[in-house]
Amino acid sequence: MNHNPQSSDGKHDDDSALSDFLASLMDYAPTIPDELVEHYLAKSGFQCPDVRLIRLVAVATQKFVAEVASDALQHCKARQAAVVKDKREKQQKVIYLCLLSFLISFGLSDPLLEQDKRLILTMDDLSKSLREYGVNVKHQEYFADSPSTGIDPASREE
Amino acid sequence: MRKSRSKRKSNIHLQQPTINPRDFQFMITKVAVSQICKSVGFRRSCVSALETLTLVATKYLETLVKSAASFSNAASRTQSNILDLTNALHDMSLQVGFMGASTLYDHNNNCLLKSSVLESLSDFVSSTNEIPFAKPIERAKERESEEVNAVPGSFQERGCHIPEWLPRFPDVGGTNENCDKRVNGEQLWENSSSVLGCQIDGFEEKRCGSNNVGKLPKGRSRIKFRVNNGGGTRVGLNGISCNYVFGQSKDEEEAEPVAVCEKSVKSQEKQILVYKRRKKLC
Repeated sequence: MNHNPQSSDGKHDDDSALSDFLASLMDYAPTIPDELVEHYLAKSGFQCPDVRLIRLVAVATQKFVAEVASDALQHCKARQAAVVKDKREKQQKVIYLCLLSFLISFGLSDPLLEQDKRLILTMDDLSKSLREYGVNVKHQEYFADSPSTGIDPASREE
Repeated sequence: MRKSRSKRKSNIHLQQPTINPRDFQFMITKVAVSQICKSVGFRRSCVSALETLTLVATKYLETLVKSAASFSNAASRTQSNILDLTNALHDMSLQVGFMGASTLYDHNNNCLLKSSVLESLSDFVSSTNEIPFAKPIERAKERESEEVNAVPGSFQERGCHIPEWLPRFPDVGGTNENCDKRVNGEQLWENSSSVLGCQIDGFEEKRCGSNNVGKLPKGRSRIKFRVNNGGGTRVGLNGISCNYVFGQSKDEEEAEPVAVCEKSVKSQEKQILVYKRRKKLC
């Protein structure tokens, strides 16, 4: 390790901050369990008896997943906002307001709650957010589960 | 019946849930990833998207750890430390970019412990709520240590030059006893009855049963004669006068001189039987 002798005070600060951070990891329980991380460490040839480093690996992975997921969430929200905007353009404002009041009178329609329910992690958003992190995920547009999947319902009945 | 049994067995085997360890790891990671997604704000998720994210997270973890291990190996160490991990984190986050990435390998101005990646990690730890994993997991190491403690006597003292990750040598002293008696009652070939039964004792008993004990001095030499020279020499040994034609005959015609000669026909037949047995055994 190389360090600059001129900035020894700053280095001490960094050291103390780092040691504080590592000490805080002793009490921190990451979402990815230690056992799982240890398994992958042993599998990859990473030998370290220090628990703090294992926690650090777990935290780094958790941060990565959280960032990807939050990006996907932003994509999801943006897409839904665009859809709502289109709807608003298409429908007349009066009808929309009537519908809203109608729904509110029934007590069904907390629009914010409905938006929360619509927050679904899909491959679309995930692939968009993963692309920023250098992972190219391409998914099929549809899966042909059965021969009748792509056919119109009317012709299927026949 | 056998077929039906085997079919049943195969069906049962198929029906039993086979626990693949890779599946187990994958399921645990999936639970953790779904917890993280929930904490971010997602309510539901497609199965394929969740599995993809789980796979990517696993790959990220493995790549990070492998590059850290390679950094420590490049520095001729077996144990990794935080500097290796920081270097690996830098490599992993180069795609996104971070503060100080341009002067990453500038040794004059750079200190690894000042890295902004570690700072962002500490910010992440302090800012996010702590979400522990849903269920406790049994450690594999505890089970191993219990097994090791169960048989302390069989351990040999390993020298300090042998690294810990090597398996121990098998017990040399116990092998002979184990080889003598096996679980299924198997024996070594030298001790088997087929070899021991080939001794001359068995033939001696048969000769004692017959009347012509004195006329059969040694069995083994006679076998050699028959195989090598055909019937001509056999005549003299048996003490039976025999035609020249019969003397040239081979195994299939052996019964005929016996039928011709009137001396001790039964004993001749017994002798021939003994020859045949000897052939089979040898």
